[in-house]
Amino acid sequence: MVLAQILLNGVLLGGLYGLMALGMALVWGVLNIVNLSHGALIMVGGYVVYYLFTLAGIDPFLALPIAMAVMFSLGFALQWGLLNLVVRSKMLNTLLITFGLDVVLTFTAQLLFSADFRTINPSYAGANFAIGGLTVPTVRLAAFGVAVGLATGIWVLLNKLPLGRAIRATAQNLTAARLYGVNPRMLYAVTFGIGAALAGAAGGLYGMISNLTPYIGASLTAKSFVIAIIGGLANPFNVILGGIFVGVAEAVTALYIGPTYTDVISFGLLVAVLVLRPSRAVRAA
Amino acid sequence: MKRAFAMTGAVALLAATALTAAPALAEDVITLGASVQMTGATANTGRYYRDAYQMAVDKINAAGGVKVGGKTYKLALKMLDNQSNVNLSVRQYVQLISGDKVNFLLGPFASNFVISDSSVAEKYQIPMVQGGGSSGQIFSRGYKYVFGTLPPAGNYYASTIEMMSKLNPAPKTVALVAADDSFDVSVAKGTRKLLEKAGMKIAVDQEYREGNSDFSSILTQVKAAKVDTVLWSGHETEALNFIRQMKQLNVDPNGMYAFTVGVPTSDFRKALGADANYAFGMTTWLPDASLKDKWFGDAAQFAKEYKAKFGYDPDYHAASGAADVETYVYAIEKAGSLDPKKVRDAIAASNFQSLYAQVKYAPNGQIDLPQIVVQIQKGELKPIYTTQFINKPDYPVPAWSKR
Repeated sequence: MVLAQILLNGVLLGGLYGLMALGMALVWGVLNIVNLSHGALIMVGGYVVYYLFTLAGIDPFLALPIAMAVMFSLGFALQWGLLNLVVRSKMLNTLLITFGLDVVLTFTAQLLFSADFRTINPSYAGANFAIGGLTVPTVRLAAFGVAVGLATGIWVLLNKLPLGRAIRATAQNLTAARLYGVNPRMLYAVTFGIGAALAGAAGGLYGMISNLTPYIGASLTAKSFVIAIIGGLANPFNVILGGIFVGVAEAVTALYIGPTYTDVISFGLLVAVLVLRPSRAVRAA
Repeated sequence: MKRAFAMTGAVALLAATALTAAPALAEDVITLGASVQMTGATANTGRYYRDAYQMAVDKINAAGGVKVGGKTYKLALKMLDNQSNVNLSVRQYVQLISGDKVNFLLGPFASNFVISDSSVAEKYQIPMVQGGGSSGQIFSRGYKYVFGTLPPAGNYYASTIEMMSKLNPAPKTVALVAADDSFDVSVAKGTRKLLEKAGMKIAVDQEYREGNSDFSSILTQVKAAKVDTVLWSGHETEALNFIRQMKQLNVDPNGMYAFTVGVPTSDFRKALGADANYAFGMTTWLPDASLKDKWFGDAAQFAKEYKAKFGYDPDYHAASGAADVETYVYAIEKAGSLDPKKVRDAIAASNFQSLYAQVKYAPNGQIDLPQIVVQIQKGELKPIYTTQFINKPDYPVPAWSKR
């Protein structure tokens, strides 16, 4: 019974992990930018939902789409005004500039929001229900549902809609895409905006399950990085599966080996994937 | 990739050095140096030290300063931001001593920082009076120059366990959950012994990685073991996660649950709202008017002034930090000299009443104080037990579903 509960915990948490990594995988795959500020964007999204909830009294789940719109605008502006300058340049440049962005976002957040801990705490945050002896936390289940829903949305966007075809075309062959009338600057900005919007949704959900400080970004970036590589950059569902895989691996590790070792396992998995399937790390888009 | 990380590291370092302000050096000044967490993961607690050091120094200067052999000195404070990074804080203490030539050292927050930083103080034979580290590892190395105003970590749960044995029904089984950093490892080690002595059984004993945010695996085991009590040790942000996830997973210990940190802070109650109720915690200090102080009048006035100045309530970290500054003033005046060795000996002989406590160091350099057991009752922090009950505890704690 304990094992079943722990597997359930791992799957539910893994869904959220997957959503965290989804935006990073999209930006990485299409723009070839390993966005080191991705975790900071998750953090900012969390604060947007927090303030919509505490100041405007909007239910956090209803605030998610608003936060996503805000984060889309922020992401669009960042790519348009800043990252487009380095989008086709060396990896080192994009790493440096997104690292710098991470520092700026983190410390701006500390100035604006202080280092206090914030939790997004609606009345139902602790609610749960029982199925066959298992306790299912409602918010975690809902977060899992949102993650799968958004992954489905991204899959439909990339595979069925003209915008998605243009995004994929630009990633595959820039010249050909240009000849068909695609404006790459605009498209990059839209893609990064979508990545930031996904980060925003993940941040809101994270704030309901855990808590927000300006400093959560770095560890979330690392986790997203691991999952993006394990899941691959091509298919949104694989990213969610990658998240679930890591979530379950961590939960089982905590049970059988000890909670101290969960990071060893998730980064160990990363190493294993890199050794067994090195092509994933090189370029999977 | 390797180059990329080296570059990013260099950029971070450059930014850090650019941020440190120039020292204000005038004549007849005694400079106290400290590296504290102003930013980064533990900035939330680090600010207590930053603000308390500053306030104590200002207050003492306003009252005339420090008299050494017929001459009056003002105190100056040279504080650096260690960004919650141990390695950086060690470098900063070396910088404070060898570059800035500060006279004496105040400490950072947290045991793991103090363990490393106090080695710098010992090497250069400059006293460090610190109010942020309590792990036994700090004081078991035979160091002569480190003093601590937090009581030994291993005894943090002593008063709680004593209280538990007087509760009705007294808890019999305990789940012990502690982080893997030096402070919490010391707490866990001491608590195991205390529980054994009290005849209570440890049904779950789990260590987790510092900074962990997901406790669902541990909580599932705690729930399955149906324990009477959960004793938890870690950092405030992890305490918040633990308590929220307890509720999400319906983990209801039969009797009570207690935390080493978090519970006494106003931040904790603000973040959790009604879910903070019933949590037990501990503090070495409450802002009580019975704690008289030469500069602040008493602890209650200290708390009032602090709140007015910084906009948030002080807790024992702040009071402990203020006592560190006062230790120097008493010791320097008694030594009648700024010689580090003479001041060190005067610190070791300290015995004065302050807003924090009666300050007196054991031969190993650490103060010994009882922990006051506290509980949040209807959104208010209530002292419950020291050696006897002060207020009635809400016990047993009701299940989450029945609140």
